[in-house]
Amino acid sequence: MDEFVTTARSGVRPASLLKWAFLVGIALYFIVPMAAMARFGFQSVPTALLTPDKLFTGWSVSGLWDAMTDPRMLAGMKTSLLLVLFAILLNLVLLVPLAIVTEVRNPHLRPYLTALTLLPWVIPPIALVVGVAATFRATVPWFLASVFSLVPFYALWAMPFTYRALDAGLQAINARTLYEASRSMGASLWTIIFRVLLPNMRASMVAASCLTAAMVLGEFAFASLLLKNTLPTEMVIYQAKNPRGGLAFAIFIMVLTAVGLGLVVRSLRRRGLNIQTTGI
Amino acid sequence: MRAIFRRENRLGLVVLIPFAAFVGLFLVYPTVVVLLKAVTPHGELGTSALMRALSGTYRTGFIQSILLSGWSAIIGGVIGVLLALVVKSLSRPKWLHPTLDSWSAVASQLGGVGLAFAFIALIGTQGIMTKVFSNMGINLADYGITAVGFWGQVLVYLYFQIPLMFLVMMPAVNGLKTSWREAAAIMGASPARYWRSVGIPLLVPSTLGGMLLLFVNAFTAYATVYVLNPSGALVPLQIRYLLQGNVITGEEDLAYAIVAWVILLLLSSLVLITVMQRRTLRWTSS
Repeated sequence: MDEFVTTARSGVRPASLLKWAFLVGIALYFIVPMAAMARFGFQSVPTALLTPDKLFTGWSVSGLWDAMTDPRMLAGMKTSLLLVLFAILLNLVLLVPLAIVTEVRNPHLRPYLTALTLLPWVIPPIALVVGVAATFRATVPWFLASVFSLVPFYALWAMPFTYRALDAGLQAINARTLYEASRSMGASLWTIIFRVLLPNMRASMVAASCLTAAMVLGEFAFASLLLKNTLPTEMVIYQAKNPRGGLAFAIFIMVLTAVGLGLVVRSLRRRGLNIQTTGI
Repeated sequence: MRAIFRRENRLGLVVLIPFAAFVGLFLVYPTVVVLLKAVTPHGELGTSALMRALSGTYRTGFIQSILLSGWSAIIGGVIGVLLALVVKSLSRPKWLHPTLDSWSAVASQLGGVGLAFAFIALIGTQGIMTKVFSNMGINLADYGITAVGFWGQVLVYLYFQIPLMFLVMMPAVNGLKTSWREAAAIMGASPARYWRSVGIPLLVPSTLGGMLLLFVNAFTAYATVYVLNPSGALVPLQIRYLLQGNVITGEEDLAYAIVAWVILLLLSSLVLITVMQRRTLRWTSS
């Protein structure tokens, strides 16, 4: 530490060199596993036979294609996309009116709703699944028989960031002022909601939906423990059968999620909306 | 609270009731049932299930989970704080801060099946790093760095822990005002003295809070460990075992008791996190 400080004082260069070395190290840590995965998924040369001269041979997307056209994977994809859709709809139906009414009419409710953002940290899927098996499995077995019984639980874990995003959106447009202005000009409540507030909330609704989609597409614990076949559980089964195709598909999904989420987060930051994915 | 029930607030009630009913039915009800069943094994009030959940293999599970979550929280926490400090101190490439910000928001969510696959390709028995190191005469397995080894799993967890710590720490690090550092320098304090008397004491509460959050995050991670090593001794895997193989009577009570301990652990960590956050807010918000 002392050595670091003296070099820092004698000149800027060594210290900033150290900082960049640290950043490069971090970047390598995040890139190398993905590169290893891409190599395994897209190059048909086993690691044992891989030598420097073979580095550029045997690359193909056939594994990815096999995985994408596998009937079980297609079914899993369809299920997961429907789960995404239903979880988003359920969340918006429950939370949009709640966020609006809380912001414009009952601001004293806000602390209670903010406490809600801690829920998924206290009761994570791995804990709630035991409770669900203990209650719904005995009382309403038909409910858990359907794969769509996952929807309410996925909506539950998506609630914190959905509420945060909607709330941030309402704060950013000064919803209460807009509400009072429209009121004083004689607009009815429904006019205000549908013609003033909702159009202004589109950005935060899109953000919340994208975060929900990423969460649902990646959720494994709850689906697997309730023996439901969604995209992540099918991916694990498929990977055991066809390691190369499984990995190629997994990196495809990860890149897709990362790019999609990254674009959403960036465009929102540019609009001044601070989206908290951590929910805390 | 009474204001909710006033007449003009009927609208509030109309939107609040479906929401409360939803959370009550799908979250509160199953959780309360588990907690009640944990303290009433075989239908009678008692702590036998809770005690059994902390003995034998289940004790090993808790110890293993706490060690893995703890080490990944400490290492990820330190690297995350350093990353936040370095990024704050470098203003030159303008893209650096926003890019890392977006990337962290994404990467902190990347834990799961895909991440486990990536590390199997890296440090699995057929992994590329395993091969590179063995060509150099180093057997990574000797150091526990395999897809099923302890340090290998810590390495995997860091992939989502470091970005999460960065996200949690950035507000606190940005709250360290340049004017404080300048004031310290004018009064003759060396950079080391500034960090010892101002910087570090201010960052300690948020760093500890952040590390606790990482701990909770790692403790409940399931997909990654399930893919890497389904026969491991971690608590989430033991819950799976009890849930899917509960043929012996009495085993259900054990699952409820383990979940009750997990919830207690998470709840107390979160109370501590909130306390630490209050301390940070005191000086970042002003």
